[in-house]
Amino acid sequence: MEDFVYFFSFQDPNVVFVVLGISFLSISAAMVGTFTFLDKKALIGDAISHAVLPGVCLAFTFTGTKNPYWIVVGAFATGALATYAISWVTEHTKLKEDTVIAAVLSVFFGVGIVFMTKLQQTGNAAISGLDHFLFGNAISIVGEDILVYGSLALLTIFTLLIFYKEFKLLIFNRDFAVSVGFPVKSLQFIFNSLMVLAVVTGIQAIGVVLMAGLLITPVAAARFWTDRLGAMLFIAVIFALVSGVAGAYISFVFPNMPTGPWVVVVLSLVAFASFSFSHKKGLITRWYAKRKYQEQIHSDHILKSLYNVLENGGKGISLMELKKDFPGKDAETERSIKRLINKAYLSSNKDFIELADAGLSEARRIIRLHRLWELYLTEYMNIAPDHVHDTAEKMEHILTPEIEAKLEAYLDFPSTDPHQSIIPRDES
Amino acid sequence: MIQHTDAPVVEIHDLTVSYGQNPVLWNVDLTIPKGTLVGVLGPNGAGKSTLIRAIMGLMDFNSGYVKIFDQEVDDVRKRISYVPQRESVDWDFPSSALDIVMMGTYQRLGLFKRPGKKEKELALSCLEKVNMVPFAHRQISELSGGQQQRVFIARSLAQQADIYFMDEPFAGVDISTEKAIVNLLKEMAASGKTLVVVHHDIYSAAKYFDWLIMLNMHLVASGPTETVLTEALLRKTYGGKLSLLSDVGELIKKSSIDPLKD
Repeated sequence: MEDFVYFFSFQDPNVVFVVLGISFLSISAAMVGTFTFLDKKALIGDAISHAVLPGVCLAFTFTGTKNPYWIVVGAFATGALATYAISWVTEHTKLKEDTVIAAVLSVFFGVGIVFMTKLQQTGNAAISGLDHFLFGNAISIVGEDILVYGSLALLTIFTLLIFYKEFKLLIFNRDFAVSVGFPVKSLQFIFNSLMVLAVVTGIQAIGVVLMAGLLITPVAAARFWTDRLGAMLFIAVIFALVSGVAGAYISFVFPNMPTGPWVVVVLSLVAFASFSFSHKKGLITRWYAKRKYQEQIHSDHILKSLYNVLENGGKGISLMELKKDFPGKDAETERSIKRLINKAYLSSNKDFIELADAGLSEARRIIRLHRLWELYLTEYMNIAPDHVHDTAEKMEHILTPEIEAKLEAYLDFPSTDPHQSIIPRDES
Repeated sequence: MIQHTDAPVVEIHDLTVSYGQNPVLWNVDLTIPKGTLVGVLGPNGAGKSTLIRAIMGLMDFNSGYVKIFDQEVDDVRKRISYVPQRESVDWDFPSSALDIVMMGTYQRLGLFKRPGKKEKELALSCLEKVNMVPFAHRQISELSGGQQQRVFIARSLAQQADIYFMDEPFAGVDISTEKAIVNLLKEMAASGKTLVVVHHDIYSAAKYFDWLIMLNMHLVASGPTETVLTEALLRKTYGGKLSLLSDVGELIKKSSIDPLKD
């Protein structure tokens, strides 16, 4: 708790710098990632993030220090080379893109690991902490490093905002972008460079292995919440910020803990919550909606049962009798009855159940929809009267008042259905 | 039957185009007069879309050139509008119909500038012309195929161009909408715009277009509808692929070098 207060009260200027740095790079990664995701190039982000490793090691080998400028140059160079290699091989051979990406990724990463092992064997003291570049360590970044990575991230963010409409058009409809005379090749080059830059800015804080996660996961989660590009960018940025800062905090509390994995863990939670609970497409949301719908159907059926009793001259029915109508569903039936009583649709007197006024009106509505639909099927679609019951049984729960009004108008307010049962209406 | 015109708005000279290494259009040579509504007809694989895509600079030529308004296409792009095939884009893209139509204004805005109120009003007025205002804020994946097609046409209108190239704009559009759009195109042609439309139905083509281009891997006919819509030319266009051209295409496709390019 003390750590928490210390960290988030930002009294330590080092903490402020680290948080600022990681915020910028999370924002830039999420923004570039959003466009990469929409362009269906998520895997290329992964390839780039692995391919920057040999560049980092080469920079070490030649300078002998952890100079951030050279590291960035090296990382950018091999990252860009990998991007170019992927598009060149895909274009000039019959290999499919996913094959090429997988091959390029493993070749570059393999070479990177060879370099790294070699470096570690030299015993040079300056390279201790080189393994931070694999999984990241936000808190190990100091002074100049933050300045370099932070300004690169800012550059990426601004470039993306400047070319927002161009990139949007390029990704949605490349042919159209060409036809209006946009410099498509240059734009693509700029975008590819941004993709590499976004990865490069994260190599020390998040690490090369997991940087692809920060690129793609925020937007994948944001996709569940919106279908507008602007909102998607914004939500992805928020998700990335939260996980980036959380990762930095954890590596502040446990300095030996790599940051990258923690960022990815937090991101996974966000993503998991998104596809479970998002308002339209979430798994849990859909499960809940389905359950609600089934409950409503059951209530509708109870009302219909009671209406049948009325039609046959009865007044009401005992709970025991009612349960017999729904074998194997005693618990649901009791719950539904309770709900219907609460809504004042039913009244219950010593387990003798009757329709209240509101319930009668609702039961009439359901039966009316059922019978109107049956009549519509027989009259307008020439379906035999003995074939219409099953679909009517489903439609009665979902037809809206507007469609009901249309059905009534089409059929000219009929009095009976195809089976000569009366179509009930409220007297008014 | 290839009728040329003086002072054409489109001039295509000796154009040969390959798809990869497979030649799909041979030596097309034609001119189109201003203010015409032109239909491009031909069977599947005849090169209709290829012709449009080649004109728009989306494909490399093996030979020949294209001039519009007597200039290079790249120099007059602001006066040209292109409607790609509907299936060529991913409609799951996170945008509303209005967003897509606004893309038609990007060209005039140029790089860096953001569309503002003026562009939005223009886009809405274009949506109105294709009866899509009620769907302006609908996510594009929720639109029917015909509605998506109308969004594309509205985007094209928002370009306020002088010449329009439309690739199968009536695919998936219901017949009453098709007629409404044709009337719109006829009005535009009457006001001096030129429209080149890839179409697949010969019977309606006779009623819709004043000029027809008939393709079957090569140019069969180009001229006013009443002179080129003859049984003989239709048979030449639709009477199966020219087997010799197909054979030569196969030969080139299989060879390890591209004799038309290398």
